[in-house]
Parts: sequence; C-alpha cells; structure tokens
Amino acid sequence: MTDILRIKDLKVEFVLPHMRVNAVENVTFRIGAQETVALVGESGSGKSTISQAIMGLLPKAAQITNGSIIFADPDKPGTRVDIAMLDRSGAQMRSIRGGRISMIFQEPMSSLSPLHTIGDQICEAVRLHRKVGNSEARELAKEMLTLVGFADPKRALKTYPFELSGGLRQRAMIAMAMVCRPALLVADEPTTALDVTIQAQILRLIREVQSELKMSVLLITHDLGVVANMADRMVVIYDGRVVESGRTDDVFINPGHAYTQSLLAAVPHFDMGPDERLKPLREIKPKTGSLLALNESEDDPREQTEVPPSLALHPSMASEPVLAVRHLSKSFTQRKGNWFKAEHHSIPAVSDVSLTVNRGECVGLVGESGCGKTTLSKLIMRAMNPDDGSILFRGESGQMTELTGLDEDQLNPYRKRIQFVFQDPFGSLNPRMTVQDIITEPMIIHGVGNSAYHRKMVLELMEVVGLDPRFLSRYPHSFSGGQRQRIGIARALSLKPDLLIFDEPTSALDVSVQAQILNLLKDLQRDLNLTYLFISHNLAVIDYVADRIAVMCAGRIVESAPREQLFRNPLHPYTQALLNAVPFADLDHPLDFNKIMDGKASDPARWPAPFTINRNSDPKMMQFAEDHFVRAERADFTEIAI
Amino acid sequence: MLTFLARRLFVMVPTLIMISVLVFVIIQLPPGDFLSTYLNELQSQGEAVDPAKIEFLKHQYGLDQPLYVQYFDWAWGLLHGDLGFSFEYNLPVTEVVGDRLWLSLVLNFSTILFIYIVSFPIGIYSATRQYSWGDYGFTLLGFLGLAMPNFLFALILLYYANVVFGTSIGGLMDPEFINQGWSFAKVMSVVEHLWAPVLVIGTSGTASMIRRLRANLLDELSKQYVVTAHAKGLSPLKVLFKYPLRMALNPFIADIGNILPQVVSGSVLVSVVMSLPTTGPMLLTALQSQDMYLAGSFLMFLALLTVVGMFVSDVLLAWLDPRIRLQGGVGK
Repeated sequence: MTDILRIKDLKVEFVLPHMRVNAVENVTFRIGAQETVALVGESGSGKSTISQAIMGLLPKAAQITNGSIIFADPDKPGTRVDIAMLDRSGAQMRSIRGGRISMIFQEPMSSLSPLHTIGDQICEAVRLHRKVGNSEARELAKEMLTLVGFADPKRALKTYPFELSGGLRQRAMIAMAMVCRPALLVADEPTTALDVTIQAQILRLIREVQSELKMSVLLITHDLGVVANMADRMVVIYDGRVVESGRTDDVFINPGHAYTQSLLAAVPHFDMGPDERLKPLREIKPKTGSLLALNESEDDPREQTEVPPSLALHPSMASEPVLAVRHLSKSFTQRKGNWFKAEHHSIPAVSDVSLTVNRGECVGLVGESGCGKTTLSKLIMRAMNPDDGSILFRGESGQMTELTGLDEDQLNPYRKRIQFVFQDPFGSLNPRMTVQDIITEPMIIHGVGNSAYHRKMVLELMEVVGLDPRFLSRYPHSFSGGQRQRIGIARALSLKPDLLIFDEPTSALDVSVQAQILNLLKDLQRDLNLTYLFISHNLAVIDYVADRIAVMCAGRIVESAPREQLFRNPLHPYTQALLNAVPFADLDHPLDFNKIMDGKASDPARWPAPFTINRNSDPKMMQFAEDHFVRAERADFTEIAI
Repeated sequence: MLTFLARRLFVMVPTLIMISVLVFVIIQLPPGDFLSTYLNELQSQGEAVDPAKIEFLKHQYGLDQPLYVQYFDWAWGLLHGDLGFSFEYNLPVTEVVGDRLWLSLVLNFSTILFIYIVSFPIGIYSATRQYSWGDYGFTLLGFLGLAMPNFLFALILLYYANVVFGTSIGGLMDPEFINQGWSFAKVMSVVEHLWAPVLVIGTSGTASMIRRLRANLLDELSKQYVVTAHAKGLSPLKVLFKYPLRMALNPFIADIGNILPQVVSGSVLVSVVMSLPTTGPMLLTALQSQDMYLAGSFLMFLALLTVVGMFVSDVLLAWLDPRIRLQGGVGK
C-alpha cells in the first residue's frame, strides 16, 4: 500500500450541552505517497474539522464517533496507526503530531509565539522528536531556515516573529513544520492571509520542500486557483460531506456534482467576455424603486418610475469626471528615541498619485498590502489630510471643488456625496443597532428627508440589495457575512452618493458569496448609474468589475489603463509580476513558478532601468497609448519590457 | 537595556517631587492646621487658651511661615532622613512610627506573597478546567471573598477563634512583647500572629486575582500559537507553561506597582479591627488631627512604594517581553 493516510467513513460530532451537531459525516479519502491532495470547501464546510481530526487537535467538545484515520508511516513500513482511536494528548499521538504529520496555519501573524525567538520555537520541535543536543538542533534549524529561503539563518534564529514580515513568518512556520522531516504536511489555508506575489513564493516553496523531503501534502483551501496549481487530486467538501473527489484535471474539466460546478462558475477568471456573468449559488435580483432613481435628475418622480433609470441617463454625463486626484502625497512620521532626542523618520504612504474617476464608471485600484491604497481612500474621504496635491470633486452645483483646503463645516455637503463600504462586514456594523437604524443613520446625520421618507427609503434600499424588509428590526449578528456586506452597501446608498468607495468589499467572503456581491454591485451600477472606486488586492475581482484599472505599489500608481489593455499588454514590471503571480482556477494557465521574483517585484529600487525609483531617479507617468499610462523615465520602455 | 534602566530611574525623581508637592498641598487643603484643631478641642472642653501661648507654638512649629517655606523645610528634611515632628505625640516622626513601618512592610509583603501563591495554581486550574465542578467551586469561594467586607471577616475570625479555640488572634505579637526590644522569641510570635491578618487582607485580593488570571489565560488558551505548540507534539502541561501562561503573566507584572498601595490602604480598617500595630490606624488619626508631618511621612512612604513598584514592574516587563524591549519608544 502506498497510501500514507486513509480516512474512511469519518464522522465528527460536536457534543453540546443540549444537542449534538454533526460537523463531518461519511468522509472518505486517501493521500498517496508524495501526493498533494486538496480539500476544497467554503467556510463552515467542515474542512478544518477534518484537518484537526488528522492532527488530533479537535476541540474538547468534538468527538470522532465513527470511522477511521489510518496512518501508514513510510519510515516504519508495515505499521498502521488509527489516529481516530488514539488518545489526543497521549504519548503516541504526540510523537506523530509534529514529528510525522506537521501542520501550518493560515495566520502567520498569530501562529508563532511573540515571546520566543524563531530559533527557540524551531529547536523545540527538533528536540521533541529527535534525540539531539542543543547545538545539533540549532544546526538542523539553520539548515531548514536556509531551505525555506532565509538569507541569514544564523540571525533568523535570534529574531522574534514580530520582527519579520508576513511572508517571512510563514516561511519560518514552514521551517518549523518541516524540521522533523514529516511524512505528511497539513497546510490549512497557508496563503490566504498573504499577498499574491508572496502567495506564489510560498506555494513554490511548499512544492520545492515537498520534492526535497519526499512528503505528501494535504492542502486545505477555498481558493480554486491554488488547487489548480498545486493539487494532484482534490476532494470537495460541502456541509461536512464529500460531494466529489478525483484527479484535479478531471474535476476541473468535468465537474460531476452541481456544487462543484457552481463553485467553479463563481470564480472570476481573466478570460471572461464583457457580458459574461459569474454564477453565484444564489443570485440577488435588485429591484430599484422611485426614490433611488431620483439620483439621476430632480424631475417628477412619477415620470421616473416609467422610464428605466438606465435610459434616463444623460449621455453627456457619462464622461464627465466626478473625482480628480492630482499629485496627492501623504507621509507618516515615525518617532524613535526618547523625550530629549527624537529622530523623525518620514515614511511616504502615498506619493504623487493622480487618478480620475468619471461618472458612471468603475475604477479599480489594485495593489498589495501596505501599498497605500487604503491611505489613498482615506485621503479622498478627507479622513486624513494630505501633505501635498489636490482632490477635485464635482459637488451638487456641478462645479469641480477643491476638497483639500476645506474645513469640517465646509466639507459636510461633500461628505454625503462620497460614501464608503468597508472590508470587514463584522466590524463595520454597530452590533447594538438594528438594521433599520443602521441604514437610517446617515440620512439623520445629514438631515435628509423626514421620518416618512426614511421609512420609504429604507424599504427600497432593502429591496435594492435583495434583503427581506422583515429583517429590518434585527441586529447585525443574525446575518451572514454576505448579508452584512449588503447592509453596508444599503447604508452607503442611502444618501444617493455620487461616488462609492469600496475597500476590499469581498475579501472576507466565500467565493460564491463574493460572486453574489460582485454581481449585485454590477447590476446596481448599471441600474442606478453609480460611480465606483473599487480597491482590491485581487486582480481577478478587479478585472470583473472595473472599467479602468490603476496598479499601485509602494505608494505610487505605476500603471493605469483600461481593463482589457492592462491584461493584454501589461508594461510595468510590477504589473507583470502581479499578473504572473495570480493562480488561475484554470488548468490551461498554470503558474509559472520560474517567473516569480523573490521579493524584488515590490521593491521600486530593484525594478529594471527606465522604471527604477530611487534617490537618483523619480520617474513620472508617461503616456503609452490613449488612456494607458506607465511610470517610467523614458517613453521607449516598450522594447525593454517585452 | 542599561539606558532604559537609567531613564526609568531618572524619571522617578521628578515623579517623587511632584507627589511630595501634591501630598503637602492636600494635607494643607482643609481649613486650619493642627493648632486650630487643637484649640477648638480645648475650647469645646471649656478650657481657656492663652493667645500668647498659641502664637509661641505657631512660631515654634513654623506654622506662621508661608506655605512654600514650610514645604521646603519639610522636603529638605525628608532628603536628610528627617521626617519632621509629630505635633500630636510631641516626638520626632521617626520615633512615633518606630517599628510600625517595618511591621507594615512585613504584613503587606506577606499578604502579596499569599495572594500570588494561592491564586496562581487556582487560576490556572480554573482556566484549564473551565466549567468543571472545581472551577465552579473556586468561583463561588472567589465571589464570597470578593463580596465579604474585610473587617467583617476579621470580626468573624476573631469571634470564632475566641469562642472555639479560646485564643486571641488580634495584634501582631503576644502582648508581652509589645514595646520590647527585638528578640528571636518576638520574631516567632510575629510569625505566629501573621497568618490571621494575611488571610483576612488577602482574601479579596486573591479572589480578584483568580478571576483575572482565569480570564486572561482563557483568552490566551484559544490563540493560534497555542494550537501551533500542540501541533508540534508538546505535552499539554509544557504547552501551558511555556506559551499561554507566559503571555497571561504580563498584566500581573504590570500590576505590581498598583497592588502595593492597594493592599496597604485596604489593610487600614482591618488593622483597626484587629488592633494591628501597623501604619494604617496611625495615618487615619494623623489625617483627622491634621498632624501634617506624620501624615505626610506616611503618604510619602506609600508613594515611594508605588513608584518603586512601578519601576520593578517596568523592568520585569521589559525583561520578559521582547516586544516591549525591542519596540519600546517606537510610535507614530
């Protein structure tokens, strides 16, 4: 038998004081030697419970009530252990856990102890499972840190996790899991919390280490793009059951189960036609009423209801800019030292950013974490004051107004014209307010309408985002992430804003819910002629919703172009690196791991010649084609880039 | 690290100066001074007072000087170990206080030690066995300890010790040692008497410490790095002590500075009830009679304890937590 792990009829129940809940039932699959198996499912599907059962890390309330998890250690041929029968904290389970089966986790920020050095934490794992001395353990740890790509492993041993970036922490975590050379690595969403370019590096690392150490990998993920690029076989989990399993290419080409089909249809990919739509599990049909349609013109509302709002659009309005940001800069100062002598470091968060958003258009802003995209959105909202540059906004008068010099009172009329939808659907709604209060609040703050108008507007907004108006008296906790995000959208729409800013609105949601929200946003934009500034790190999402895309890196916009142009002909090395790093949920476009630059991609000083940004050269935006701009020193970059 | 220590020590100086000013001002805030209080008392007893004598006393005690002169006299004295003169006892403060200061220190340190020794095992047990019978039992006891006023517990203990065992557990030593020189027998007597006040004063502190340790540890136990440690194959006990417990310690270390004055002030009532020869009751009377140098000395002593406690906790925190040690002083 070459299988390392065989799970048969696994059933895990959570025993609560008043009831038993089936978390996982009838789960059967196997992992072969040196094979990568992906466990795919959305949040709450039970995929993490399965991984916990394999590791013997189930919470106290969970019990394995049926089935077996047979582990056949390749180092001890012929032996088979049923993990399901072992005492979770007994000696035998502990020698397997960490020694023969290791695990890496989703959150590199919190999965290492902040109080102990990397070296301490890795050496501890070595000394637990191998009879080695302290110095030998350090040698092994150093060797493993070199393997996972630490340039100076000796120093790395002495660093604390909080001194490292997210990508490096995940590398340290992998080193810790690998140091005992396990037979099986369980990777629970190992790259979900990381940026795409870092994700590509980590995925490549897992592959390299896998072939180096000849181990099997169980990859738990919700990202079909990662599955397509990593897994030999995949197991699809829905509601605690396996709905489909097989070779990855078979499942992708010919998905048998309806759930797998809909999951694949819900993922945005780059080959979509302009009118092609994502297919969420459940589609929302927004219904727009009379009050929101008033947005277009202040005419008689009765007339408006007869004309579909999309037709009521004045053609001339389509191309006029709503927002024009010019050479915007903002830097933060970091203070280091004591009372008497303080050194101030100025760290630019946004520098020389110019951006135009036209009416009825969706502009996508894409970039990795820390690139300054959220700071930029806060500057536009004037939640922060820029150091330099101008923000022009078309107000109710139809005139472009400079926002940077205005004080709080003068800003107030503009505040209601720009609304914001946040990333975290759980933190952005007050848990002590009903949905009714949440959606009404902006209107009360800005003194729009009377209470009869509020009631009518709230009902209409609920219909628009596809929520049942009977939910109005409920509190946010009784809604799912996707429903909360829709409440957030309804709240942002309540003032009929000219510009909506979305900051990663779907990054906390499952793919099928993401598809639902993205479709809703597209429909609303079409029906209500809304203007969006859409911020995301996910290129595929940006590609699906945006008309024009600006790529941001290290506080600067490095390239901006219409959607098709950017994807067909990316010119800037950073854009190219981003595009190369995205794992497609498509077997025909595998990730080219050779093209991934190790951390060089997001360092402006290390970009090739006409693009380099350092002390000596500070390139400006150059026009390449109509509407296609690239930040470069000379305009002849086309030959170099290709 | 050395500069950190030096800086912390240096900061203590202006802090103590500020505190001394505040203490002095607060003592002076009520209308009148020791003499006028004394006068009122005499007059209410129908005794005649010679104004010339009052003037003489005022001059003698320096009470006719402006406030800032009085303050500087006092502060200058403090720096030289001269705590001033107690009006009420007609003795230098040092003599009035005598052993009380040391007995207070012994009592309070024993109490803190008691709190830590008792609450840590129980807190850890309660957190790791959440919602077990043991946890519920300790929770019940803890709430009893929190809810019951110290002085009441002291009275109950005094009463039952007398009725059941026929002994008096009041005081900090057997009566024959009071006002005697220190001897081995006297020390043993103090040790024998110490347990009752320590138990009385320590209960509420222990109870709240158990509750906090339990809550902190429960928070830490559900963190991801604990799962990582389990996933390495560490034994549960080792995981507990190396990772979450270390993280849960931070609030306690940070609290050392607070707990000292809390225990000291909390023991005043108990000291009165159990007639303990500590500083508490004396501070109370000194404040009532506006015996300013005596009260000021006590308050400065408390402040010194707090400031030193803060210093100790800062140093311990920096030593234990690399995040504080390495990221200190970095801000926006």
